[in-house]
Amino acid sequence: MIKVTIDGRDVELEHPVTVLEAARKAGIEIPTLCYFEGLSPFGGCRLCLVEVEKLPKLQTSCTLMTADGMVVRTETEQIRAARRSMLEFLLINHPLDCPYCDKAGECELQDLVARYGPEAGRFAEGKRRHPESFDDPIIVRNMERCVLCTRCIRMCSELQASYSISVTGRGSHSFVEPFSGGRYDCEYCGNCLTVCPVGAIMSRLHRHSYRPWFVEKETETVCGFCGVGCSMVLQMRENSIIRAIPRRGVGFNEGLLCARGRFGYEYVEGGEELTTPLMRVDGELRQVSWEEALSFTARRLGEIRDEFGGGAVGAVASGRCTNEDNYMLQKLMRFVIGSNNIDSAARNYYAPAQIYLERIFGQGITANLIPGIANSDGVFVAGGDPTAINPILGLKIRAVWRSGGRVVVLGVPGGLKRFVPYELIPVPYSEEIVLSAIVGRLLERKPPGGANAALEAKLRDLRIPSDDELGSTGVSPEDVARVSEDLSSMSTPVVVIGPDMVQRRRASKSLFLLGAIAYLTNARIFLLADRPNYQGLLDMGCLPELLPGGRPVELEMFRHKAEEALGMKVPEQRGLNLFEMIDGAESGRLKALYVMGENPVFNLPDGVRVEKALGSLDLLVVQDVHLTETARLADVVLPATAWPEKEGTYTNLERRLQRVRKARRGKMASYGREDWRILADIAGRLGMTKTYQRVEDVWEEVMHVSALHTGLGYEEMDGGRALWPYYGEPLRGMEGDFTVEGLDGLPEVPAPERPYLMIERPLYHSGTFSRRSKALLAIQPGPYLKMNPELARRHGLTGGDKARISNGRGVLELEVRLDDDMPDNQVHVANTFEGFAAMRLAGFGTDPVTGALYMDDNTVRVEKVLR
Amino acid sequence: MDIMDEIRDLSRKYPDRRGALLPALYVVQKEAGWLSQEALDTVSRALNLPQATVKGVATFYAMYKHRPMGRHLIQLCTNVACMIMGAERLVDLISGRYGLEPGGTTDDGRFSLVIMECIGACDRAPAMLVDTDFHADLTADNIFEILEKYE
Repeated sequence: MIKVTIDGRDVELEHPVTVLEAARKAGIEIPTLCYFEGLSPFGGCRLCLVEVEKLPKLQTSCTLMTADGMVVRTETEQIRAARRSMLEFLLINHPLDCPYCDKAGECELQDLVARYGPEAGRFAEGKRRHPESFDDPIIVRNMERCVLCTRCIRMCSELQASYSISVTGRGSHSFVEPFSGGRYDCEYCGNCLTVCPVGAIMSRLHRHSYRPWFVEKETETVCGFCGVGCSMVLQMRENSIIRAIPRRGVGFNEGLLCARGRFGYEYVEGGEELTTPLMRVDGELRQVSWEEALSFTARRLGEIRDEFGGGAVGAVASGRCTNEDNYMLQKLMRFVIGSNNIDSAARNYYAPAQIYLERIFGQGITANLIPGIANSDGVFVAGGDPTAINPILGLKIRAVWRSGGRVVVLGVPGGLKRFVPYELIPVPYSEEIVLSAIVGRLLERKPPGGANAALEAKLRDLRIPSDDELGSTGVSPEDVARVSEDLSSMSTPVVVIGPDMVQRRRASKSLFLLGAIAYLTNARIFLLADRPNYQGLLDMGCLPELLPGGRPVELEMFRHKAEEALGMKVPEQRGLNLFEMIDGAESGRLKALYVMGENPVFNLPDGVRVEKALGSLDLLVVQDVHLTETARLADVVLPATAWPEKEGTYTNLERRLQRVRKARRGKMASYGREDWRILADIAGRLGMTKTYQRVEDVWEEVMHVSALHTGLGYEEMDGGRALWPYYGEPLRGMEGDFTVEGLDGLPEVPAPERPYLMIERPLYHSGTFSRRSKALLAIQPGPYLKMNPELARRHGLTGGDKARISNGRGVLELEVRLDDDMPDNQVHVANTFEGFAAMRLAGFGTDPVTGALYMDDNTVRVEKVLR
Repeated sequence: MDIMDEIRDLSRKYPDRRGALLPALYVVQKEAGWLSQEALDTVSRALNLPQATVKGVATFYAMYKHRPMGRHLIQLCTNVACMIMGAERLVDLISGRYGLEPGGTTDDGRFSLVIMECIGACDRAPAMLVDTDFHADLTADNIFEILEKYE
């Protein structure tokens, strides 16, 4: 026990901490400028100076560790004079342009000068001049205001681990700059904006548009971009979002956000939102009243149900909609229309992977906490770049590296490049062989313990490739040995699984092998999710085979429970999944499709076929915020509200339930209606007697119907406490029985002549929503074709050229961007920008075991476009 | 030897990559006499250090140049001992003969002149460095004799 006296108060400490931390703990405020909680101490601003008895000079409390018996004073005349002098030094070069500085009002320097002075400086020379930099579209740098606290640099290198800025120059010519000296080449997390205590690093998004004290309302909500679910505060003025900021102490993201979360919110105010329902009249979409649209939709759904049976109707749920929205869609389908045909774009990878892993290990296997990754001593990543798909989760992996852990990535490491000791990049579609070899080696080092008999039986049947058989993968036996050695040396490892490990033939085998690695090393599994509520829509029963709570619809016991809870019937057979619904539309078996918050024409492979299939439906209803590619084909378009206008809950990839809160309302809010309300209205017109006034009423029902969510009210969700397994009952005893395709064989590694077209998942964009965000467009304005210089050379291309990629499904013309880190024989395009649906060019199939989509026949001809 | 290899070889002499940064910067500066953005990027890639870190270090030290220099770099000391011994007169002479102001470069790209801080040769003041050659006991009589040797 350490006892110190601070300002006459006795403070007892379990562990040695700095004097500053000890004082804060005792409720004594010591002024600081360069100190920032979570960053390493710097001791540069000298404002936290304190007197310590028996020490001759003033000490910086942010760097001085407490020692037993220390007597500290934090506010004496000597200290005040010192602080005043420090501030006088800082003001020598500071422009004192507070009247038009956006920071005024929340500027730490301004506040400190107001408190300590000096009222005037004695320095008579001129101030240094350094023009404000507007080279960057998002961040404006005013280095005349900079006090060189280096908080931004420590943030960028310690927590974001992006290392994109540094102090350049020396003495009074020290400026914080990116490498280019102008525009940033960084991850645009904007976390430097959070830490800058003055107006040196500011966002251009809301420049000169408000004063901090003009903020009328703050709404604490959860980001709507990816499956991490970072908490953020939306600051509102006149019902318009001024800015989205993180707040330390709110949410597990600990004051960090990524580019999408911080800058991407504007898509909701782009002015392109649907304002009224639309209906197809004489082949054209015309504006109609809500009443007209709703009654038409309900009537047609009813007619189709009555004529062809509920099975002729299908629905697509949305990973961007709340649990309540998805629950209501599921209820409309299953209980009102009588169809289990409900699925979502989570079918692409998240849903099948999650369900397959749960079949092996039991429900909740991926429900692990993201902050916990940082405490791990090793990470194995396969199937995607976590720093782009789930950026804040990616930061935790970087933190593992910082604390001395090992990061191993199978595939292109992307944003983890600086953090891996070696690269392990197999030839496309040979990962399965490499994983089998790794598992083979691991089995020698870590014999299984007998806990999961089914899995171990499968491991005995697993064909382990010989060193020669590894030859076709481009990964050497030495590399495999190294990986397995690293994996077996980890005591608290984490296995991170991304989409690319699922979107392939024999997804079951890749998932089984990754599961086996996790099993043998006793690792926790994380499944990356590029939508905020993929997990939620699964738990709400938006799957052809599962009811709310993840209960199989085909088991009578569960079906009965649900029917009893709602007093309504459910069809006995599992329904069609997303691809079966496309097939059904094509063959005429499916007559109507209700699409909520999803854009299948753009986001599914083989768009031509999807478009044709949807076109042959009797009724296509699209409920969305914008007139998407799919909405343009619809018979009815129902405008929904966007994320900041929603109340409800999201379930993130940790399975944490968090509240989404409405920030915009009143006349600035869009004309859309909440998704669940539209659905409940239609269900009511089709005979549902239950009515809902508020979103809470929907959640009440979820708690009643889903055995997982029993007793988990909204009030329980505050502060991120609604963690798996909640208060409900996870489904037990369903695991153990699973199939692995091709366990005793090794696949032929394809060697196509033409390069593969792969989907890039860019850090700065997210699906088709982000293309309406001006800020994200300023960072990455359009699509490009990424390839390595060698591949480009073989096609007579160089960076900046225009290239045409084509196959039987379509043609795209894109600007070539060279990237040394790209593997050979593949080109990457983001599936985001209007008119550039890369997915359209890929063929697809459905994995027979997991039901996952796999991309197939996705090679393209690449040629130069001659100007 | 390729410059990347030269830097990588060099880095083996240091406990970590950061340690090799200063000598690596000298290696690339030797090529063109100054450090362009491309040169800094080369160091960044050779040592696998962030570009911004490399730039931060390179701009901190006065011995690294960030704009093109003449073929030969004259670094003349004008600190106390050299000043007393007439260094400032030498600056004027150089300026007069070559049209070269301190901090500048001759039009033909032959010389750049930098006024440097104490060179540690006060006993033989005034002193200068031309590139890496040390010259002391400079006078109005011998300075051009020395400089004319540098083409």
